Amino acid sequence: MSKFTVPIGPQHPLLKEPLSFLVSLEGEKVTSSILRLGYVHRGIEKLAEQRTYIQNIYLIERICGICSHIHSTTYCQSIETLLKLEVPKRGLYIRMLLCELERIHSHLLWLGVLAKNIGLNTLFMYAWRDREIVLKIMEEISGGRVSHSVNIIGGVRVDLNETHLSLLQKSLQELNSRVEEILHSIENDRSFQARTRKIGYLSLEDIKRYCVVGPVARASGFDIDIRRDTPYAAYDELNFEVPLMTEGDVWARSILRILETIQAVRLCTQIIHNLPDGPVSIPAPRRVPAGEVVSRAEAPRGEVFYYVRSDGSQNPARLKVRTPTLTTLITLPGQLRNMQLADVSAIIAGVDLCIACGDR
Amino acid sequence: MSTEKAVIKLQDVLNLGRSATKLMPINEVEITISKKQISLAVKTILKSGIWHLSAITCQQLEDDFILLYHFWKSDGLTLRVRLDEKNPQIDSICPLIPGAEYYERETREMFGVEFLGLPNPIPLLLPDDWQGGYPMRKKEQPSQDKPKDNNRQQKGKSS
Repeated sequence: MSKFTVPIGPQHPLLKEPLSFLVSLEGEKVTSSILRLGYVHRGIEKLAEQRTYIQNIYLIERICGICSHIHSTTYCQSIETLLKLEVPKRGLYIRMLLCELERIHSHLLWLGVLAKNIGLNTLFMYAWRDREIVLKIMEEISGGRVSHSVNIIGGVRVDLNETHLSLLQKSLQELNSRVEEILHSIENDRSFQARTRKIGYLSLEDIKRYCVVGPVARASGFDIDIRRDTPYAAYDELNFEVPLMTEGDVWARSILRILETIQAVRLCTQIIHNLPDGPVSIPAPRRVPAGEVVSRAEAPRGEVFYYVRSDGSQNPARLKVRTPTLTTLITLPGQLRNMQLADVSAIIAGVDLCIACGDR
Repeated sequence: MSTEKAVIKLQDVLNLGRSATKLMPINEVEITISKKQISLAVKTILKSGIWHLSAITCQQLEDDFILLYHFWKSDGLTLRVRLDEKNPQIDSICPLIPGAEYYERETREMFGVEFLGLPNPIPLLLPDDWQGGYPMRKKEQPSQDKPKDNNRQQKGKSS
């Protein structure tokens, strides 16, 4: 059988962001693939060492264009720990609200990308139409559709008023019914199943060996969720389920993400019903005492990890970011092996890559 | 608590005193070990049922490099290794945890720490023809001006 190599990326219609795959084929079958990152590497960890703690909030948010809020949340959380600040409950709830809205937006965006990659254009349009509802809420609350700049050290800079709450209530109900409709149609759609079942398989063993996190890990039966296991913000006060599946293929990841979206909508409803009164932030001192801190949070794609070391000066001495995409990227060559070339697009979309996060 | 058990087991296996541990904020225990103990320490941690490595952080303190291996299972467990030579080297933990490959490759490129036994020691983030040293080291300063594109274009035309 003829052997040849197909370059996918750095610029490719299949990919939202630049990433390079060199896929070796034997006929239609993938035998091996080489992955290269770094096309959107901006050196953010190094830049953070040159900026003050407050400037860094806005730098950190630019790591990712999809999950910008979770980055600044984790960062502010770590600085607040160093400062031993007690953030007001209302501030934490608004932070969580934005986190969950972002999860809905990210999952719907991803669903659209997957649908487009496997040729289901109607689903793509439905998913992105519904995503618009979330974006509108976020724009109403923060003024920005994807970069919100809501977090400050010591809380958040925006407060929710009656208009926001009524808009949220109305939109969340609508979202809930729309996402359930999508779930129903996907579960029963034969062409969706044909394109996603039994491809990109990852066993529970692989998940543990490669330290994979987030929906990809949960779709293979690895029960990990930072919100539940190491609660941050005020997640210990909320009730939610962590969906778990065992099939470990693209189909399981899709269903799991939609179930998660439904959970996120419920979480948002819970948050606005239990929103405490009081201030949204407290003033934070400018100078951060020397010390080290590790902070974790559950981004839409899984655990995001921050390490900050302060030496008492106005800039952090070291800021380390590990994003969930790095953990899933390493499994991709294994997932692609022995797959058909036509399935490559579904597998790449299925793990929900965020290259800007991975490169930093 | 599995992390506590793992910490005690680590201290016993590596002959460390109880004082080698330090608490960091947010449920985080830190253990300082020597660089020769890294494989044994990781094996012990894996045996205690902690298999999730969150990240490897490298940083430069004066002339030394500090490597932090952040493990997690409900609580965090961090291994601290100090590399005090001019050409820092340490055993790769990829044979034990394949998921550490990208973390080690990134550290290798950015700080110049050599991981012995790293399965795929090619650039991950930096360009193949990168000649700018190790960007994350303290002495390296990010350039303030724009990249010099003119040179590249001229080269392209002449060749």
